[in-house]
Amino acid sequence: MASSGCLVSEQKPNGFDFDLCKRNAWLEKQGLQTLKPWSTGTTICGVVYKDGVVLGADTRSTAGETVADKNCEKIHYMAPNIYCCGAGTAADTENVTGMISSQLELHRFRTNRESRVVTSLTLLKSHLFRYQGYISAALVLGGVDCKGPHLFTVFPHGSTDALPFCTMGSGSLNAMAVYESGYKEDMSKAEAMELTKRAIRAGIFNDLGSGSNVDLCVITSEGAEYLRNVDMPNPRTFTAVPKPFARGTTPVLKSKELRVPSLESRVTIESQEGDVATAMDTT
Amino acid sequence: MFMTRNEYDRGVNCFSPEGRIFQVEYAIEAIKLGTTAIGIRTSEGVVLAVEKRLTSTLLVPSSVEKIMEIDDHLGCATSGLTSDARTLVAHARVECQNHRFTYNEAFPVESCTQSICDLSLKFGEDGDEDAGGMSRPFGVALLMAGWDPVEGPGLYHTDPSGTYINCEAKAIGSAAEVAQSTLKEQYKPGMTFKEAEKLAVQTLKQVMEEKITSTNVDIASVKPNFRLYATEEVEEIIKTLDASS
Amino acid sequence: MSWSPYDLNGGTCIAIGGEGYCIVAASTRLSTGFSILTADKSMILPVNSKCLIASAGFDGDRSQLHKVLTFRSENYEHFHKKPMSCPAMAQMLGNTLYYKRFFPYYTFNLCAGLDDQGLGCVYTYDAIGSHERVGYSCQGSGKDLVQPVLDNQLKAPSILELPPKVAVTSLSKDEAIETVKIAFSAASERDIYTGDAVEIFVMTPEHGVQKEILPLRRD
Repeated sequence: MASSGCLVSEQKPNGFDFDLCKRNAWLEKQGLQTLKPWSTGTTICGVVYKDGVVLGADTRSTAGETVADKNCEKIHYMAPNIYCCGAGTAADTENVTGMISSQLELHRFRTNRESRVVTSLTLLKSHLFRYQGYISAALVLGGVDCKGPHLFTVFPHGSTDALPFCTMGSGSLNAMAVYESGYKEDMSKAEAMELTKRAIRAGIFNDLGSGSNVDLCVITSEGAEYLRNVDMPNPRTFTAVPKPFARGTTPVLKSKELRVPSLESRVTIESQEGDVATAMDTT
Repeated sequence: MFMTRNEYDRGVNCFSPEGRIFQVEYAIEAIKLGTTAIGIRTSEGVVLAVEKRLTSTLLVPSSVEKIMEIDDHLGCATSGLTSDARTLVAHARVECQNHRFTYNEAFPVESCTQSICDLSLKFGEDGDEDAGGMSRPFGVALLMAGWDPVEGPGLYHTDPSGTYINCEAKAIGSAAEVAQSTLKEQYKPGMTFKEAEKLAVQTLKQVMEEKITSTNVDIASVKPNFRLYATEEVEEIIKTLDASS
Repeated sequence: MSWSPYDLNGGTCIAIGGEGYCIVAASTRLSTGFSILTADKSMILPVNSKCLIASAGFDGDRSQLHKVLTFRSENYEHFHKKPMSCPAMAQMLGNTLYYKRFFPYYTFNLCAGLDDQGLGCVYTYDAIGSHERVGYSCQGSGKDLVQPVLDNQLKAPSILELPPKVAVTSLSKDEAIETVKIAFSAASERDIYTGDAVEIFVMTPEHGVQKEILPLRRD
């Protein structure tokens, strides 16, 4: 606490620390480069089918034009019967789902009931609305509860939609094109999974912010099935290891010999000192 | 030369009924009044030798410039109106520098000759002065001697009509005819540079009215760089010449 | 939001000059923002049997620049009765770029080929014509990822080695081609603008210019 740099030791209110906002705004005006947060320039989607909900996500995480993580997880656990896909700033989606999921867990302890999807929806949207869009998390929330399967989208400002199928992220249009052309009511599990897989692949191949593999999560009244990397359509096209450098490539500029006492001589000395060994014996 | 002078010999933009442009032909005649210049090309390089008419002993010989440098690898011998020659050479120098600026390489000898010929053609009554053209044809012929990075040594002859010819040995000026026939007899394809140098000066000596000295001739070589010989070097070459002729 | 005459269409190019060969390679993806415009766009201009130009940056300026260079090279060939050499093209490209100093062609070029001695030569440029003859170079969106790999593989293997070897790599042609492939497959893993395929032009005095295509990740 003392080393935190605060002149006045004080109890911080709950929530974010906005201490440096004014300073940063000033620095930015002086020409400071703003930080480049990792974002999940993403394709995420979900669809309701006959027995439940299928959620899908790609696995690329980017920092600007570079891929930061080639196989990240964008389908976050909320409750045993509820999962949530996140697009936007990676830190925001991870933390907002994490915080709400812990509240749900506490709520389950207190109520002894399975969490309901609308509960998590309400918690998420009120949290996001409080921060007026500054928490950049665009979510696809899906789950099955006592009222049946549910699917929602949550926008960063806190507005929500309840839909039979929905997409989010930079690849949302690509995925939506697939859903719009292939969606049917009351699909089988296999149909819903295949359609979602195709929607994510559309994002992976056509949106530069999305890439790598397909993750799926199927939720039914029986429970959730998290299917990690069900599809890996981007193998390396060329593999070779550069020739190792020959021994002696690095020139020796100068050398100095250091004597290392040999282990053998030390063993001999210790074995001779029988008294020491006895003295160390503390039994 | 021309039997009748008629109304067609004045205009530079008008053919005569026989298909001639007299002003160009007259310009070619002007060269026959000029000093003799000889150029010989060998595989080792090109030699240029010119006669300088020193009309007065009070003239500073070096001020009579009949051989001029165009670029490191390029020079020329002139015969005809010296002032016209300077205009053409100035143009060639600019073109060479332009080429170096644009392509970072030496201007090919033939291209340089071509660009001089392009300028030679820019004459006419309506005036192309801004483009460097004149109202009349240039009254000068040039022997362009150069070293091409690809082709090697090159010798080209240009005349006022804007025509250029690739030559192995060429003489221009007042004694061109005699000198050319000597060259025709004595030039051999496998000649060494030394032999060519001697042949050029020997031929010049043969056609000159005055006695050849180190002050009334200029000699230059391009192998592969252009170099105008110093008086002492000219002296040396003259000493080796056959006493006869 | 104001309109800009420029865009950045991504893509990476590499050139390596060795003893008796020259390699020029470029990815074929053309993109804007997060969208792919085409997966199959060449950014290499084969000028003649002695010279290739690869340009990354804005596609509109690249096509205009390549048109201008083609025109000048053909004109040169007619006027001087010989193909433009790589060093001559390099100088001319530099002048062409500098001529637009205050409204530049938004392109980042490599001019590579064989010089008069048959030695591989590579010239690397900024957008306004500053250039330098080097042994190898790369340009474009994957430059930050690839250049250190090339430095490690092609330059003096140790930074302690003095004087540093620069002009021409000691790698054989096949080793250099493999290095290019490694570099591109690695760049396509991490640079979102590099992908789909890479065109590899190999120039030798014996076989002229030969082209090979290596597919890359398409995501």
